[in-house]
Amino acid sequence: MTEVILQSPADKPARRQPLLARRYALEIRQQLAWYWQALIIALALLMGLGISAAILVGAGVPAEELLNEFVVLTLLDPQNFKAVLFQAAPMILVGLAGCMAFRARFWNLGLEGQMIWGGIGATAISLFEVGPPSIRLPLMLAAAVICGMLWTLAPVLLKLRLKVNEIISTLMLNYIAANFLLHLLYGSWKDPRDNFPYSPAFRGFERLPDVFDGYNAAIVLAIIVTLFALWFIGISRAGLYLRFVDANPRVADAVGVPVRKMIIGTVLLSGALAGIAGFIVTAGQEGRLTQSFYQGYGFSGILIAFLARNNPLAATIVALLVALLFVAGRSLQVFYQIPFSMVQLIQAILVICVASSDFFIRHRMRLIQRGEQ
Amino acid sequence: MDMIANWLGNSPDFAVPFALAALGLILTERAGVLALGAEGLMLVGALAAIGAQLSFSTPMISLIMAMLAASVVSLLFALMVLVMRINQVIAGLALVFFCQGLTGLLGTLLEWTNHPVTGLGAVALWPLSELPLIGKVFVQNPLVYLTPLIFVGVVWFLYRSHAGLRLRAVGENPQAADAAGISVLGYRLAAILAGAALIGLAGGYISVLSTKMWIADMTGGRGWIAVSLVIFARWSPWRALAGAVLFGCIEALIPQLASTGIRLPQYFVLMTPYAVTLLVMIWVAMAKGGVSAGSGSQPGALGEAFIREERR
Repeated sequence: MTEVILQSPADKPARRQPLLARRYALEIRQQLAWYWQALIIALALLMGLGISAAILVGAGVPAEELLNEFVVLTLLDPQNFKAVLFQAAPMILVGLAGCMAFRARFWNLGLEGQMIWGGIGATAISLFEVGPPSIRLPLMLAAAVICGMLWTLAPVLLKLRLKVNEIISTLMLNYIAANFLLHLLYGSWKDPRDNFPYSPAFRGFERLPDVFDGYNAAIVLAIIVTLFALWFIGISRAGLYLRFVDANPRVADAVGVPVRKMIIGTVLLSGALAGIAGFIVTAGQEGRLTQSFYQGYGFSGILIAFLARNNPLAATIVALLVALLFVAGRSLQVFYQIPFSMVQLIQAILVICVASSDFFIRHRMRLIQRGEQ
Repeated sequence: MDMIANWLGNSPDFAVPFALAALGLILTERAGVLALGAEGLMLVGALAAIGAQLSFSTPMISLIMAMLAASVVSLLFALMVLVMRINQVIAGLALVFFCQGLTGLLGTLLEWTNHPVTGLGAVALWPLSELPLIGKVFVQNPLVYLTPLIFVGVVWFLYRSHAGLRLRAVGENPQAADAAGISVLGYRLAAILAGAALIGLAGGYISVLSTKMWIADMTGGRGWIAVSLVIFARWSPWRALAGAVLFGCIEALIPQLASTGIRLPQYFVLMTPYAVTLLVMIWVAMAKGGVSAGSGSQPGALGEAFIREERR
């Protein structure tokens, strides 16, 4: 490039080429400073939000109401902010579940199935009145953890032993779990009081209580689990091993890291976290096992983990934002008859935009000068 | 006896969507693009077909609209994997979620949900339709008869034509194909669009010819079953057709069992297609003795982005 400039005399400094005759080359960037990366991702998010806003306006939400619905009413109103936090608790759990599985290079698309089983486990403890009332809630939590783990065991073992694609196996198990849930709710677990297809309501001591000033215990539980995830990934020996496995499983195996055990353990942990999310929704929000309590969480969990680049702390923040989207989406549903699929569409658009931003982080366009190959 | 005749007669109706979707997937994946988005593209095809059917009530136009709509949406996927070089698993999943959201939204906003439509009438292939027991297999809507012909056409294209050879070369070794002067991205784009058209046709079949109405998320995982069918068929169209017939028979059995009056737990019966898919996946893996999938006839460059600047 410098030669071109040197050859061109001073009488025509940097003559512009006609627009259509310009040619560009795509180059791989070596390294981009973190603030440029952050800027590109921020621009991508902004673009995603812009497209989403345009779709919302197209669907019939007045443009001047958008800011009101999504920011003012959700964050600044204390009652609604509590609702956002309450909604964020299961979001954080599924987001962390996604992070864990992806760190073990396992595409866990079965978060919904694991949530369903977490809910079933917790409800079974309530239904069969296992244990005294004082420890009922911890027992429900434990049952949810165990059920979520067990539902994850088959796909991870199948992947490690037989190389069965875990995307398909976990998805198929979702459908199986959802049908099993319906089997229970339309069958023996139906509420005998009104014969509706949901389980009998939990008793007072089987529900997650408000801890202080209307903030639910679900939020505390989510914070504790986040701290645990941070410790697990950042400080514990397992986390160190996991980074080895993620970087290069074969080298990790060669230097004596128990690769299989690490993968199985981490994926089971992912299932356990999804199970806890199921417990939070049933024992926290719904107060009983319902037909569709899990819907939308599976995708959101994957989205949160992807946007947070599998970092637990970032996942917590993204989960809060997704929870905000959910709460605003419900309000849009009530006030403007916007179907809840809108929330899923917005999430998908954001994922596509942020995934595309990676292209601009890794490549740059360079104008090819005339006479240059 | 009557039950078996009815069951066999209903099976092709359930098998066709699997067959068409699997064929579309094979076409795309033979060019080396991992197409996980089938579930979403089927939904797009299904919704577009219902929309066209409610507006024009001509099934042929509806099916063509289904193909067009799925192809247009697959341009987004092509943009993601060919231009932006996003990981094809992430791009495929994002496409499914995008399509689920989009079709759910449009189906409600345009008020196309739960409006029954009239599909295509059945055509009897005369001497065959009089056969005992299997006669009902030959009383189907025209698209069922067209499906084997589409298979013949695609198989001829893939294995007997120059363009098909180039397409498979792009899927096996894009670097070599590029060096031989084949446009890798061009062939991949064409494969994505053509595959999406077939997958959209499968979706349109479900909504207009089979269920005859639109319900949100009506494909119910059939796209994912098609993805696993392709793995089961090891990317061979004829094996995929056989697999589709198998799954069609299983799905057709569900309403038959309900009508016999045998008291079966309904939701366990509804689980069977998914459970069978899982078992088939395990069976395929066991048959290969746990060797990696690469040893079969999986396209060599499946799931890999082609980046010329990183030419090896």
